[in-house]
Amino acid sequence: MKKIFFFLPLFFPLLLLFTHSLSAAESMSEDVLQERTKEVAKTLRCAVCQSESVWESNAELALQMREIIRERLIQGESPDEIRAYFVSRYGDFILLRPRKMGLNLLLWGGPFLLLGIGGFLLFRTLRGWVKQTAPAPEALLPIDERNRQRIEQELRSLNK
Amino acid sequence: MKGIRTWHIVLLAGILGLVFVFYQGLYGNPSYIPPVIVQTAAPAITAPELYQGRPVSLSQFKGKVVVLNFWASWCQECKLEHQSLLALNKRFSQNPNFVMIGVNYQDKEELAKEYLQLHGNNFEHVRDLKGRISIDYGVYGVPETFVIDQNGIIRHKQIGPIIGDAYENLVENVIEPLLKGSVSSS
Repeated sequence: MKKIFFFLPLFFPLLLLFTHSLSAAESMSEDVLQERTKEVAKTLRCAVCQSESVWESNAELALQMREIIRERLIQGESPDEIRAYFVSRYGDFILLRPRKMGLNLLLWGGPFLLLGIGGFLLFRTLRGWVKQTAPAPEALLPIDERNRQRIEQELRSLNK
Repeated sequence: MKGIRTWHIVLLAGILGLVFVFYQGLYGNPSYIPPVIVQTAAPAITAPELYQGRPVSLSQFKGKVVVLNFWASWCQECKLEHQSLLALNKRFSQNPNFVMIGVNYQDKEELAKEYLQLHGNNFEHVRDLKGRISIDYGVYGVPETFVIDQNGIIRHKQIGPIIGDAYENLVENVIEPLLKGSVSSS
């Protein structure tokens, strides 16, 4: 019995340490949960707002959607699964970044496609202009003997 | 026509295609959102009834045509359609295969009761306490109305008030054919 009293002063600091580490673990997981909720909520459109994400909006619907995201994360669902749930209810409209499929590809690839077409047309046009203004090599007349001698003479005089 | 080559035609077709797509996008109804939930199984509902608070489940109406109307006392358009809803229920309430349920959306209990007392009521209402039912049904705002067939499949979604043509369409092209057994969807 005496031994118990001997270890009692040691027991309380250990208990304190244990409970403290438990609460730290809980608060950390809460932080992670909050961060993951934010990560998903920022990719979803607040259905009743103008260009605001579910994370940014304070509308009642957005708050309720955030709560659902949080609950589903606790249940172990992945962010993609949660997004898929909202898409199954609201359609692609609910996603702030349109998915890279179907007609949406036009949104993602359209600017690059137009840039490529524009560049190609510009290249062709410029090449056409250059062809029109520059003399064709075959159009040059062969130099005659008299002119060749004159050029050589002028070059010699330049070198003197 | 000597200068026209294949790539000219392809390019022109591409540009015309883009113009068409953008035209459709610009001149379509910007507020129209395709209802993806139509033709899918109606999400389960268990919610407290507005007056007694007893739980009401959608599953207890299996085998019936269910009209589910989302409304709120603060919603002006809900007031517009309220008499139509009463008329709709009156018209079909004698049919044992028809049931109509109101889902009170983002509202206060006392205000909802006041609203029904003021505007009249002839069907059952449940409360969507945490917005779960509305989100499960992809509700953007109120009023929105869903028609669920005897097999629990959503056959119709109406965004906005059920008045005028919308009422006629709901009755003649959705509810009556479903009650008669001929499948309809929109």
